[in-house]
Amino acid sequence: MTGLAHRQPSQPVRWGLPAGRAGFATLVAFYAVLIALCLATLVAAGDLSFGRNPWDNLLKTVGDFARPSFLDVWFGPERLEYRSDDGAVLRVENRREVEASFLAAVGRATWVTFQIATLGSLLAALMALPLAMLVARNLRVPRPLAWAAKGVLDVSRAVHTLVFGLILVGIVGLGPTAGVLAIALHSMGTYGKLFAESIESLDMAAVDAVRATGAGEAQVFFHGVWPSVLPQFVSHHLYVWEFNIRDSTILGLIGAGGLGLLISEAVSLFQWSRLATLLNVVVVLVMAFDSLSRRIREALL
Amino acid sequence: MSAAVCLKDVQVVVGNRVLLDVPRLDIEPGERVAIVGPNGAGKSTLLKVIGALVEARQGRVEVLGRSLGPGDEAADRRALRRDTGLLMQGLHLVPRLSARENVLIGALARLRGAQALRSWCRWYPQDLVAEADAALAALGLGDRGDTRADRLSGGERQKVALARLQMQRPRLLLADEPTSALDPAATREVCHALCAVAEAPGRTLLTVVHDLELLPLLATRIMGMAEGRVRWDRPLGEVTPSLLQALYERHAADVTPAAPPEPAPVIRLASA
Repeated sequence: MTGLAHRQPSQPVRWGLPAGRAGFATLVAFYAVLIALCLATLVAAGDLSFGRNPWDNLLKTVGDFARPSFLDVWFGPERLEYRSDDGAVLRVENRREVEASFLAAVGRATWVTFQIATLGSLLAALMALPLAMLVARNLRVPRPLAWAAKGVLDVSRAVHTLVFGLILVGIVGLGPTAGVLAIALHSMGTYGKLFAESIESLDMAAVDAVRATGAGEAQVFFHGVWPSVLPQFVSHHLYVWEFNIRDSTILGLIGAGGLGLLISEAVSLFQWSRLATLLNVVVVLVMAFDSLSRRIREALL
Repeated sequence: MSAAVCLKDVQVVVGNRVLLDVPRLDIEPGERVAIVGPNGAGKSTLLKVIGALVEARQGRVEVLGRSLGPGDEAADRRALRRDTGLLMQGLHLVPRLSARENVLIGALARLRGAQALRSWCRWYPQDLVAEADAALAALGLGDRGDTRADRLSGGERQKVALARLQMQRPRLLLADEPTSALDPAATREVCHALCAVAEAPGRTLLTVVHDLELLPLLATRIMGMAEGRVRWDRPLGEVTPSLLQALYERHAADVTPAAPPEPAPVIRLASA
């Protein structure tokens, strides 16, 4: 009637290492050998190079970054004249207007980035939830099913968002949709792992206590399992969402929409001051969301 | 009416150690039984066999007219759980629910139809909420209803578990050292509450007791156990101090310093 069992905690795999300090020293030695190997091959291939004049380049880049383009909206020249070599005026530009319209484009792109991260995270969480329930060991799902779910999650975690993005741009075309799906497919793995861990850390004695009152399986779930895991799920969701906002700023590089598109444009046109504007926006966006999500997560504990 | 508990030739063996060996045990409905004995006497194991937390490989176990065994139906199992109230150390409150919600869990199995569905959202009928509040108030926790269970003290948790038991209205109560973590005042309170739960006619109370002073409070029939066997079984009035002393002394003589520690009890219910 009952499956009473002392499940032995699994023994750590020793790999034939000596115990204690000697074992740790062996590990450190292995690590040192690995580092030496990496460095040696890098040098041997002649790839350890900082270019011809790194210092000049560094100073020039820093100089460009020091004056981000959005300052021009207020301080830029209202009549910037472009002249040919013989002095004829080719074109007159109002820097303030040009940069103001660029800033508006940045605003739109920021929203798209936020959109991609938000929808992608939600989709990922929804897909990961059932898989996490299959993977969590304490729910005792039949092994083959658990292995299959674990396989799906591992693959999705192993493939980077950008790689998913490249594949998806080829399938659904350029634009935010590819970005949303790329974020969703990669984050699903992360969510699955986090969700499964919080299910595994559940107080099973409390769940058993609910079951012992004669409650039905659904009641056991909604009273014993759900109240304990929901706050953790919300916390994990905010954490991965936060992560995805960082990730989705890059997705534009491969044509999946958002700030990344403007970044790749600024880089290819060597517009470092605009790149500085964009990076400012990225930092502010990520920091604002970080502090917000941290506060919510602290309130949930 | 059938017996509340009926055991025949029950043995529980772990490895080559006999944890429990009961050739025959009958407990009638309405009886109040206390089990005493030294550590490792098999008291808790006996309680777990009756509570269907441990399966007896040998013999027949009948509880409230149903026989426990591998072949029983999920619905039967649920009905039996509903009628058997457990108060044990290994069974916790749900930490994130309030004290009141934890008490209401005891009433879940009573809900039918739409009420059962609504309970999924922790939405309970008004009269049940009032009953839960009354149960908490009776134990002196009237103002703690909204406190989360993980913010309660150990004694308060035990009382909430008791209130949950009260809501469950079981016909058979199994309590394993219900007062072991409590101070003397709380011990009395919990014992009285336990008896109050068992007050209704036909309700059977089976308690494992360490504090022998509580015997008159909790039981009218005492069973002395040692080494997995029931040594004696008699009414409260016939239990003499020397009888009790013999039970514990024999054990004290047996114990060698290198006695292996008892494995930690693991309570695990198979999903229905």
